[in-house]
Amino acid sequence: MTITSVHTLLPARVASNATEKRAEKPPPQLHGVQDFPFKGYHPPQPEGYQQSKAHPDTSAIVIDNGSHLVKAGWSFDKNPRFAIPPVMSRYRDRKLNRQCQFIGYDAYVDATTRGQLRNGFDPGSSVVGNWDVMEGVLDYLFLKLGVDGADGGVGRPILMTEPIANMAYSRKMMNEILFECYSAPSVAYGVDSLFSYRYNGGTDGLIVDSSHTSTHVIPVMNAKPMFSNSTRLNWGGLQNAEYLMKLMKLKYPTFPTRLTDAQMEEMVHKHCYVSQDYDRELNGFLDWTGLEDRDRVIQYPFTEHIVQEKTEEELARIAERKKESGRRLQEQAARMRLEKLVKKEQELEYWKDLQNNLANETKKEIRRILEAEDLKDEAALEKLIRELEKSIKRSRNKDLGIEETEEQPEEMTFPMLDIPDDQLDEAGLKEKRHQRLMKSNVDARLRAKEEKEREKARIEEEERLDRETRENDFENWIAKRRSNRQSILQRIKDRDRFTADLGNRKSLASQMRMKTLANLASDGPKKRRRGGDDDDFGANDEDWGVYRTVAVGEGSDDEEEEDLNGMLDSVEKELLEYDPEFSEHNTFAAQSDWTKSLVHAFLRGPWPFDPESQREAHQLHLNVERIRVPEVVFQPSIAGLDQAGLIEIVADIINQRYTNPADQSLLLKDVFLTGGNTLFTGFDERFRKEVRGFLPIDATMNVRKASDPVFDAWKGAAQWASGGDLGRSSVTRQEYMEKGSEYIKEHDLGNATW
Amino acid sequence: MPPPTPANDEAHQQLLNTLDISHVPKPFRNPHWKPSQRRNKNLKQIVSEASRKEASVMATQANSGATTPGTSGMVTDGTQTPAEGAGPNLSQATQNLSTLVLEKNARATFQTGPAVTYTNIESAPSFNPAYRHHYCDITGLSGPYTDPKTRLRYHDKEIFKVIRTLAQGVPENYLEARGAHTILK
Repeated sequence: MTITSVHTLLPARVASNATEKRAEKPPPQLHGVQDFPFKGYHPPQPEGYQQSKAHPDTSAIVIDNGSHLVKAGWSFDKNPRFAIPPVMSRYRDRKLNRQCQFIGYDAYVDATTRGQLRNGFDPGSSVVGNWDVMEGVLDYLFLKLGVDGADGGVGRPILMTEPIANMAYSRKMMNEILFECYSAPSVAYGVDSLFSYRYNGGTDGLIVDSSHTSTHVIPVMNAKPMFSNSTRLNWGGLQNAEYLMKLMKLKYPTFPTRLTDAQMEEMVHKHCYVSQDYDRELNGFLDWTGLEDRDRVIQYPFTEHIVQEKTEEELARIAERKKESGRRLQEQAARMRLEKLVKKEQELEYWKDLQNNLANETKKEIRRILEAEDLKDEAALEKLIRELEKSIKRSRNKDLGIEETEEQPEEMTFPMLDIPDDQLDEAGLKEKRHQRLMKSNVDARLRAKEEKEREKARIEEEERLDRETRENDFENWIAKRRSNRQSILQRIKDRDRFTADLGNRKSLASQMRMKTLANLASDGPKKRRRGGDDDDFGANDEDWGVYRTVAVGEGSDDEEEEDLNGMLDSVEKELLEYDPEFSEHNTFAAQSDWTKSLVHAFLRGPWPFDPESQREAHQLHLNVERIRVPEVVFQPSIAGLDQAGLIEIVADIINQRYTNPADQSLLLKDVFLTGGNTLFTGFDERFRKEVRGFLPIDATMNVRKASDPVFDAWKGAAQWASGGDLGRSSVTRQEYMEKGSEYIKEHDLGNATW
Repeated sequence: MPPPTPANDEAHQQLLNTLDISHVPKPFRNPHWKPSQRRNKNLKQIVSEASRKEASVMATQANSGATTPGTSGMVTDGTQTPAEGAGPNLSQATQNLSTLVLEKNARATFQTGPAVTYTNIESAPSFNPAYRHHYCDITGLSGPYTDPKTRLRYHDKEIFKVIRTLAQGVPENYLEARGAHTILK
């Protein structure tokens, strides 16, 4: 098969017409970044503790131990009193020589504290990894809750949340701290999402809990969680922020400011959303139309370099000064010219006088005078006078501004050349030699002129022929032009590739170059051994070509570069003029314009980029990332997580693990979304739409979201703790001492023993 | 940022003092509480320790016969000949017996399959081909092509040009974002 025609299909982004592209986009709306999440000083709230004194056995301290925020309050509260990130900054202040400890938002207060920041949770998981931080956080919370430690301990029951299927080791450590360090009278544990579900009145259904470090799907029946059918996906809000950080660092590798995790989190919250039809929306995301709305610009603080701008007045003064000095120079030159002219005129007068005087002198006297003036004969004198007159005239003309007209030199004759040498005397021979020289000069000039005319005629002829072919055989003519343009483009491409390849040590171009160098270095001594010093390098002109193959970098092929672009320009001009299919936006320049560049749209949105501007250098553009980041929970493979996505998990639980249709419909009747990662715009709709695709056509499904996906877990825990269940489900200090640190009591909202 | 003035500095120190909880008395803490030095473990350590512990419990139970079978534990399920019948091979019989007991105990505790642990509730790899899309590593758009040299997926020829001009090591970073990088050990 042969390829008979080549046609490039341009994507919609490029094909839209040029005038639309030229239309200026409105300036971008800039979004700022937060500095650091320091929230100021929070005074303690001891009134809760005072209130709890009325019923010290049933008023529990409720702590939702989340990896993003630790929420704490009393079981009789409606809302948590404190919510802090589980971080601590502890260090020894060298100046004051004492230990400092800052917890939660306070740890972001200044650069020193931020430098010592430690997170309580093992990175990327919902498991506590640093117990020193955990202790610090608990200290802070108990202090802020106003616990006075009257009996040497916390003195109130504690309810804590833990991740589903918590590790025995984690619970053991937590028990140790709570019972031994804080002397808690009793401790109960529960799972956060189950509390949230209970708070929202659910009894049978499917909990989809997408939170900070992980996403869980838990079927619940008869208000009992089915842990063996629960599934965890290791992706949550934290991973979203981390992924965005990775993407941003790759997108802007030379970004001048430090990007922080908190800023990334803020961007995810503010600008990301869940796409309803990911693949379709994705492929149109960088299209020109409407890109200004899809592209979000994040402006980081910057300082613009101030260019010293000169005032109008100063500029005028400088110009005036320049003009003044120019004038002075001109005057000087004119004066000097005048002086020279005067001198020449004097000289001329002198010589004329001399000539007049000579007329009355004897021959002998004449010769004496001439000899004294260093002149050969009267003819020489005459010549001198003539030349002087000429030069005076010329300089006068110049002063007066008269355009000098080059008078055509009269047709020169060379009579001496035809006379044979032997008929001439000494002077004649000399004259003949002179005339021969002159003649060859004139001949050469004539030849050059003829050459020029011939060339002109040839070009005219070519143009005529070209015109003729164009008029008579347009198809061929245009085809030739097009192929010519293609070949020039190809050559430009080849050249670019070649220069790019030279930068790569392993490329073919580099290897060839090294080979040449090695050859050059090695064949010198070989030759000398064979035939002595007969190095005839350079005798042949082609020898010098070696340097062209060896030279790299700047200036090696500048001339050619100019040439290629010039050739392309002229071909494109012709095509523009005559080819009906070739229009302004097909030209190479238009094709390589930034408005056509996908990479530019990706990096800088629909606005031009000025590399000098500090303002623009400090901008992040979020476009594809806005849907790419939240998509990971649906397609974990995007971020390289080898797990099934949320929809697949849900479909698997409903279709595979519960084969009884009654169970299936029970679960589907109440699908409950909770956790901070479900707060994205469009999450519910997308979830509903995709899960529907896995269900039988007549299945009914009801998806709802927690009234407050972040705080409902704590509220549910507080509600549950104020009921009678807490006492039954708590492990007392006594039981802890007897049964060990891994002992827990099972209840409907907590993990089971295994 | 303006240079810190002494007054500013003092105010900041004041703020630090109010925020600092290290010098605040904490009467609710047990003064004799001494945490163990090596209590901070990462998830990997905890998981591996837990699984090791589990395995060792199974092993000791299987070998030592620490669990004495109850009277009702003597049921045979038909696949196994009763111990009396297998007179010469006594050791194997005891072995089987203890395994049986273990299994029965396990069944009693977890009615529905194996124990639920932190590791086994993790979702399995995806088997649905509908979710096996390829996306451009640079832009995130659809990525139907793969560069054989860097193994990066790309959207179109313009992105390909960009890939070919990437500095050394950068393609690896892109692969890492997709979890497809080579890890040298």
